[in-house]
Amino acid sequence: MAVRLETDVLVIGGGIAGAFAAYRAREAGARVLLVDRSYFGRSGCSALASGVYPAYMPGDDKDAWMRAFGGPLVNQPLVARSLPVMHEHVLLMDRWGVNWVKEGRKIVRMGAPGRSFANGVWMAEGGPQMMMAVRSGVVGSGVEVLNRVALTELLTSDGRLPTAGRVVGAAGFHTRTGEVHEIVAKATVVCTGPYKFPYPWPGSTLGYMPVDLSGDGIAMMMRAGAELSRLELGGINLNPDNALSAPGLESLMPSGAKWVDQDGRRFLEDYDPKRMEMTQRALLYFAIAHQKELGRVPSMDLREVSPERMQLIRRVIPIVVNNQEAMVGDLTETPVPYTYQVAGTSGIFGAGARVTERGETTVPGLYAAGTCTDMTYLPGGNLPFCSVTGDWTGRAVGAAVGSVEPPQPPAEQVERVTGQVLEPLQRRDGVAFEPVHRRLGELLMEKVGLVLHADRLDAALDELRDIREHEVPRLTAGNPHELAKVWGLTQYMQVLEATLRAYRYRTESRVAFIREDYPIIDNVNWVKMVVVKQENGALRLWDEPLPESWHDPHPVRPTQNLHLVFRNQEAPHAAR
Amino acid sequence: MPRVEVNEQACTGCGVCVDTCPTDVLRLDPQEKAFPAYPTDCQGCFVCQWDCAYGAIRVLVNG
Ligand SMILES: Cc1cc2nc3c(=O)[nH]c(=O)nc-3n(C[C@H](O)[C@H](O)[C@H](O)COP(=O)(O)OP(=O)(O)OC[C@H]3O[C@@H](n4cnc5c(N)ncnc54)[C@H](O)[C@@H]3O)c2cc1C
Ligand code: SF4
Ligand code: SF4
Repeated sequence: MAVRLETDVLVIGGGIAGAFAAYRAREAGARVLLVDRSYFGRSGCSALASGVYPAYMPGDDKDAWMRAFGGPLVNQPLVARSLPVMHEHVLLMDRWGVNWVKEGRKIVRMGAPGRSFANGVWMAEGGPQMMMAVRSGVVGSGVEVLNRVALTELLTSDGRLPTAGRVVGAAGFHTRTGEVHEIVAKATVVCTGPYKFPYPWPGSTLGYMPVDLSGDGIAMMMRAGAELSRLELGGINLNPDNALSAPGLESLMPSGAKWVDQDGRRFLEDYDPKRMEMTQRALLYFAIAHQKELGRVPSMDLREVSPERMQLIRRVIPIVVNNQEAMVGDLTETPVPYTYQVAGTSGIFGAGARVTERGETTVPGLYAAGTCTDMTYLPGGNLPFCSVTGDWTGRAVGAAVGSVEPPQPPAEQVERVTGQVLEPLQRRDGVAFEPVHRRLGELLMEKVGLVLHADRLDAALDELRDIREHEVPRLTAGNPHELAKVWGLTQYMQVLEATLRAYRYRTESRVAFIREDYPIIDNVNWVKMVVVKQENGALRLWDEPLPESWHDPHPVRPTQNLHLVFRNQEAPHAAR
Repeated sequence: MPRVEVNEQACTGCGVCVDTCPTDVLRLDPQEKAFPAYPTDCQGCFVCQWDCAYGAIRVLVNG
């Protein structure tokens, strides 16, 4: 028998976006149930984040903020409106017990990488402490929490996927007991975070922690008929070249950390000699990826960082520092080699359901916030932008559910979906998780890589289709823990297919999106939104222009003439 | 590969690490001691080590 629960608002995923969405919806008077596949407060990117919350604070130069965060695909007027909300969140989290770095009672500002001004507020004990404090604030407000339930499919009023009606909840299973859960809700808010190849093996270039974010919510929303966008913009993601360790040491760039190669040469001279470590983030990422392509060993050199700053960073990003010291020894003596992660991920920038400022997707009853959305209006998936989208969505949902009648998903759909959830547990002779997982990872490293090309993308799509049609329907799981991994891989494969199609669709390069067959930085054609939608069992892609109002006050520079240099061409490239 | 090590003398079986491990690696054995039931899923994130009030569990990143 399935466990059946009812609520006004179902929030799927307890990272910072889900936490703020749940809190604001509850504050508006709704009954809220937050469901996490893992443990709310310990899961997702948010709980493993390095401790920088790049928030606007009163007295900051608003123009500097707009220059830093007003990229070509950003709705700048909305960024401007998000700024005061960030400050509000810093104060709210302070009340919840988030341990900000302070001098006396004053919260201290510090630099963040790739920014020309000190726009960060730092957490003295990093993301893990922040999320446990946020958890206590959210639970204290009356939000109910259900941990270790992985939701796998949305339920709809007409019983169909995609739906012509509305989303009325979701179904899934407990990852320890295997109990099926059916949750009926007036509104569903998906906050399942970014996606990447789940459970990368150490030593590969498949990614870093958290290892379990497989794009579940994005796949579910796509099947329900929601439009997706920004899938092609995950860009280049950096991480230390060992274990599964995450990025974070880069936050020391404003404090004397330098990028060097194996000979100690500061290679940023070739890319942005004026700004060096203070270059824009996308160009920095490109420089590092390019160095790797040239067979160099780009490394983070912390020898000139002051002992006080090193002491602070040990507390602010404890996971990364612990990991790195276990691998390379004293960080102030040996530079830490870095690598990039293959494409096929939304990185930390975020991509997914196309949403309005109120978190509405294109399907009624279905909302989304944080890094599983396109956040079309905001520049990227860092903590403040996720808390702001969560906040706005939670308020909108809380206000909307008052007038919604308690829904009832059709019995046949519930039966079908809850039956499908456990199928991999019941299959007798199928294929095990490991070989399929391995094949997909190798496909990503060999055929997708980081520098993209139409021929390789087509070959990857063909093989992906083969895996999806012949292996996925036969995947087996021995217990509920393995079932969670099987479902993760299944969901990821659908999101990956949509992502590879979006890569294929875009024919302009830009520093964080590199097409070998279109090596021109083309800011004219770049400024558009690529949309993906599942229709009649196939994916449909199209593009839409961005409203001019988005680029106020910083218009996009119409450059079309910059060439990127790839592979073993030893030349400083021109992305200046 | 990251690996976790439980000091069975120190482990009280409180189950906190079993609750909080993000990737669901840990379980209590019949003697109520924590152990890595799914060791290959460990991401070396140190959550269990921080959450254990008894200093009974240790993460070896390069185990
Ligand atoms: C290692 C690392 C360090 C970072 N450091 C910083 C930093 O210092 N500053 C900064 O601003 N940003 C940082 N970022 C980026 C930032 O952490 C993320 O952009 C942000 O936390 C994303 O929040 P979110 O709520 O969208 O998703 P997440 O925090 O990832 O939350 C998603 C949640 O959904 C749950 N979930 C997933 N699938 C399901 C399902 N099927 N059913 C139920 N639940 C599900 C997951 O368990 C998880 O709890 C960092 C990111 C990483 C990875
Ligand atoms: S290090 Fe992290 S993933 Fe590994 S057992 Fe501990 S809590 Fe779980
Ligand atoms: S938290 Fe510590 S004491 Fe409690 S079960 Fe885990 S290892 Fe044992």
